Amino acid sequence: MPKTIDYSKLRIIPDFDTQEWWEGTRQHKYLVRRCNQCGHKWFPPLFPACGKCASMDIGWFETAGKGVIHSYVVVTQPIVGAFIGTVPYVVAVIELDDCKEADGTVTRVAGVLTDEDSEAAIGLPVEVIYEATNDPKIVMPRWRITGRVAGAWNFDEHEARGGGSRNS
Amino acid sequence: MGALTDKYCIVGVGETPHMRPSNRTTLSMACEAVSKAMADAGLKPSDIDGMTSYQAGDSTTSAHVATSLGIRLNYCLDILGGGSSTEALVAHAIGLLEAGYAKVIVCFRSMNGRSGRRMGGQVPGGPIPVATAEGDNQFNMGWGWTTPAQRFGMSAMRYLHDTGCTTRAFAEIAVAHRYHASLNPKARLRTPITIEDHQRSRWVVKPFRLLDCCQETDVSAAIIVTSRERAYDLRHPPVFIKGGYARTMTENPGWNYSRPVLHYVAGNYGWKRAFGMAGISHSDVDFISCYDAFTFTTLIQLEANGFCRPGEAGEFVKGGRLQIDHELPSNLSGGHLSEGYTHGIQMVIENVRQLRHRADDACPGWAEGKHTYDRQAGCRQLKRARICCGMAWGYENMASCLVLGGVMS
Repeated sequence: MPKTIDYSKLRIIPDFDTQEWWEGTRQHKYLVRRCNQCGHKWFPPLFPACGKCASMDIGWFETAGKGVIHSYVVVTQPIVGAFIGTVPYVVAVIELDDCKEADGTVTRVAGVLTDEDSEAAIGLPVEVIYEATNDPKIVMPRWRITGRVAGAWNFDEHEARGGGSRNS
Repeated sequence: MGALTDKYCIVGVGETPHMRPSNRTTLSMACEAVSKAMADAGLKPSDIDGMTSYQAGDSTTSAHVATSLGIRLNYCLDILGGGSSTEALVAHAIGLLEAGYAKVIVCFRSMNGRSGRRMGGQVPGGPIPVATAEGDNQFNMGWGWTTPAQRFGMSAMRYLHDTGCTTRAFAEIAVAHRYHASLNPKARLRTPITIEDHQRSRWVVKPFRLLDCCQETDVSAAIIVTSRERAYDLRHPPVFIKGGYARTMTENPGWNYSRPVLHYVAGNYGWKRAFGMAGISHSDVDFISCYDAFTFTTLIQLEANGFCRPGEAGEFVKGGRLQIDHELPSNLSGGHLSEGYTHGIQMVIENVRQLRHRADDACPGWAEGKHTYDRQAGCRQLKRARICCGMAWGYENMASCLVLGGVMS
C-alpha cells in the first residue's frame, strides 16, 4: 500500500498561466505546454513563452503520462508538512516518452513516486496516477513504477559496490 | 595583462559573528558589518558614497543602513539574489566606479538565515505546517520537493550515475572545509571530521547526508570596493580585482530539469572569459573558493571552471587535494559547510584576508601579517597566496566568478 500524503496541509493556488494545467489533472490528463508556432514542448507550464522561438502563441499537448526515471532523490527529512507521514519518499525527474523532439530536446517533469526507495532506480519506466485532495478543484498527479529493466541504477546498490563505470 | 588588471580593489571587509539565533534585526547586523568593513579599510562614513546589497525579500536595505550610519549616498541599490550575487555586485561596482557614479562602494548581505526566513520554505521550528503553493511552488511543493538540498540532490544523483563516483568524493570536500574551519576562530563547527564521519552522518535527502549540507546561519557581512588610486592610501595591502563573470546562465535556463546533462552548470560558460580578463591560466591559481551550499556544489564547479575534466572531479579531490598545504586549497575559512552560510560573501572576505596575508587566525601577529604556518598551532594563512579564483553558484543554471590578486601577484 503506497504511503499517503496529507493533502489537507497543502493549498495549491493556480494562476492565469497554470489554471488549465490543473483543470487537466482534474480530468486525469497530464499536459505539457506546446508552442503553436514551432511545436516545442516544455514543463512546468508557468513559463508563458516558447524557449525555442520566443512565441507567446502557445497551447497544450496531452501526454500519455508515461516516462523513464532520469534521476531521483529520497527525502528522509520532511520540509513540507503534508509529507511528515510520508518519509522516506522518492521524488523523481521523469523523461516523458512522447515529448522527444527531432533535435534531441526532451521534456522532463518531476513528481513523487508511490514506490519505496529500494525499488527506485534510474532507467525504470513509470506512469502517472491521480490522487484526490480535500479541495475538489485540485487533483494531484503521482507516479508509480510499472516494470523492471536490466541495467537500472539504484543509489544504495551503487554505493554498496563502491561506485562503477561511467554511464554517460 | 588582463583588461581589468589592477584598476579596482577590495579595500575593506567585515562581518558579524555567525549566529543561531542572532536575536537581532537584519538592519542591526548590517550596520555592524558595514562599520567593521569601514574600520578595516580605515574609512569614515563620509568616505562612502555608494551602497548595494543582495537579498531574497528577507533583509533590510542600503537606504536603511546608510541612514542609520549617517552615510550620504550618491548611489544605492538592493537586488534580489542569493548565491553568486556578491561577485555580480563587485562587477556592478566596477561599472559604477568606472563611470563616475560613485567613488567608494559598500556591498553587503544581511540575513537571519536560520531564525528568520529559511531556504526551502521551512519555518524556524521545522516543517511548514500548512503550505500554500503558488507561482513556481505549484510545481514542486506538491511533490515535497522544495529545498536546495532536495533540488540539487537531483543533479547530484544523476552525476553519481553518469560518472561512477560515490559519495566518498562528497566526503573529501566536507573533510577539507571542516579542517580549514578548525583553524578559524570564527567558524561555527571546528571539530575536524573524517571521511568515515561523513559516511556515518544521517541522511537529509539521498544522496546528501547531514555533513553534505551547509550551516543555516544568522549573519551579516560587507566588503568595500574602490579604485587603485584610493586603495593605496588605505590601511591594508590592496587586493586587486583581476577578472570574473557574473550571474552567467546556461542555455535552456528553465527550472525544469530538461537540460541535456543535469550537472552541466553555468560555470562552463564563464571561466574562459574570466581567466582571459585576468590574464591567467589554472596553473597560476594558488587557492580557490568554491560555493559549498553542499559538498556537491563545490565538486561540480571544479569541472565547470576547468580545474579538471568533466566527470573527473571525484578523482580530482581524492587524497585531500583541496586542503591547506596541498595542491589546491579551497574555502579556507571553512566555507558554508563549516564556518556558516552567508550566500557566498564570506568566501570573498576570506580570499581578501588570505591575499593580504592577514588571515585572522590563532597567530598572535596575524594583524601585522606575521604567521607561523604551524597548522597544529592554529595558523590558517597560506604561505603562497597571490592569485585566487572564487567560484559561486546560484543554482545549476547560474554562476559567478571573481579572480583576485594580492600585491605580490
